[in-house]
Amino acid sequence: MSKPIIVVRNLNKTFPGPDNKIEISAVKDVNVEIFQGEVVVVRGPSGAGKSTFLRCLNGLENFDSGSVVIDNTPLDHHHKNRLEIRKEVGMVFQSFNLFPHMTVRKNISLAISRVRKKSKEECEITTLDLLEKVGITDKIDSYPSQLSGGQQQRVAIARALAMNPKIMLFDEATSALDPEMISEVLDVMKALAKEGMTMVVVTHEMGFAREAGTRLLFMDNGEIVEDREVRDFFENPIEDRSKAFLSKVL
Amino acid sequence: MNIMFVVRKTSLIESLKYLLFLGVMTVLISLSIGKMEYNWQWYRIWRYIVTSSSDGSLAFGPLLKGLAVTIKISVISLFFAFIIGIITALFRLSTSFAAKFIARVYLELIRNTPLLIQLFVIYFVISPVFNISPFVSAVLSLSLFEGAYASEIIRGGIISIPKGQWESAYSLGLNTLDTYRFVVIPQTMRQILPPLTGQAVSLIKDSALVSTIAIYDLTMAGQAIISETFLTFEIWLTVAAIYLIMTVSISSFVHYLEKRNNYSE
Repeated sequence: MSKPIIVVRNLNKTFPGPDNKIEISAVKDVNVEIFQGEVVVVRGPSGAGKSTFLRCLNGLENFDSGSVVIDNTPLDHHHKNRLEIRKEVGMVFQSFNLFPHMTVRKNISLAISRVRKKSKEECEITTLDLLEKVGITDKIDSYPSQLSGGQQQRVAIARALAMNPKIMLFDEATSALDPEMISEVLDVMKALAKEGMTMVVVTHEMGFAREAGTRLLFMDNGEIVEDREVRDFFENPIEDRSKAFLSKVL
Repeated sequence: MNIMFVVRKTSLIESLKYLLFLGVMTVLISLSIGKMEYNWQWYRIWRYIVTSSSDGSLAFGPLLKGLAVTIKISVISLFFAFIIGIITALFRLSTSFAAKFIARVYLELIRNTPLLIQLFVIYFVISPVFNISPFVSAVLSLSLFEGAYASEIIRGGIISIPKGQWESAYSLGLNTLDTYRFVVIPQTMRQILPPLTGQAVSLIKDSALVSTIAIYDLTMAGQAIISETFLTFEIWLTVAAIYLIMTVSISSFVHYLEKRNNYSE
């Protein structure tokens, strides 16, 4: 077996509580290894620490203890490592977070030109390629506010892909969308999974998990309570908590 | 029908109020002018605005020459105030204790002492030590003063940028400098342009104080002309009008820019 591309060991993250006295555990002693090409779907009730766990993987959240190693680079306090990891890990947010003052073209090409130091021509080629991939070439000169939610999220995916990352993180990428727009975003994500992209996806879309996921993590109270193959999970969930959860959503 | 009537009625009342106000003002002004028995000589002021030399060509009179100095000081100070403002804002937002402390001390010092005193301290105490000219002293004190206020405006603008903008910039691998330069500052600029314009207008008005350190700006020019001619009212009113024209045109220009750059609509 090849070496895992993401190695998480004894990860702990707490947040200060309401009166700064008690600490709330968001991620509790999480151990996980993710291999190249896996599509890991992270599920669980709200407040289970899914998003926090995901955000620890590219250093948007500082963890208290444990270690995260992405493609042999440890995510530590060295700023250089952190930047290096962020170049290789793309992220898509629930609220899109496109840059409102830039056109779609500039949104996508900013990181390639500034971080990858590509020429203008190369940026343009990549941008066009990616817009074709997510199916909105005609919006290249539009501003984010002129796009629908689904289109904005597809631009956000293209923007993350522009860096040609090894890993893509999706933080509830369809939760803020109207129902009729969810599928257009999920289709892009499924296509990406089929191409062999390593993905960690926090989502409530069981259809996506069933169709494109390879592995399923179930989180509750900051802990990973189940870590199984997707197919296996749907056939016989073992943990009581995920059984109860599954019976509620299916 | 009813609504139309109400609208007409209120607009009629509003116009009547306005006319009443104008009438009262006119009466008050003419009364006071009559009491003053002041001999208005408006025809004499033109030579102080534009002078014609012997060969018939027109040249700037002392007032316009003073205006040029005021503009020069204001523009240079505005530039430095903006730079100081950005640096101070970034210092205050940084995680470094020393940077925060320096910014804090500077802000408290500047905002809690009068500008006139700061000007005197720089002109009489600091400038002899470092041998700097009155002009540089003026620019220095105005930049430091307005920079403190600009920094608060800029800081507020930066804070108002949603966390998600930072996060998506960071997640793309942009470093802090590029995140500020391409993502945060451009969005901040749009928000802080109106209050920053107000600060620029303040700066132009505050620049009148530099007349106290022997700089021949618009205010100083007015003062000099009055001491020669005793056209007190005409010159001061003219000087005020020139300041007004300058500040109002800046405000309306920025208002126009704002309308043109509105990308969110």
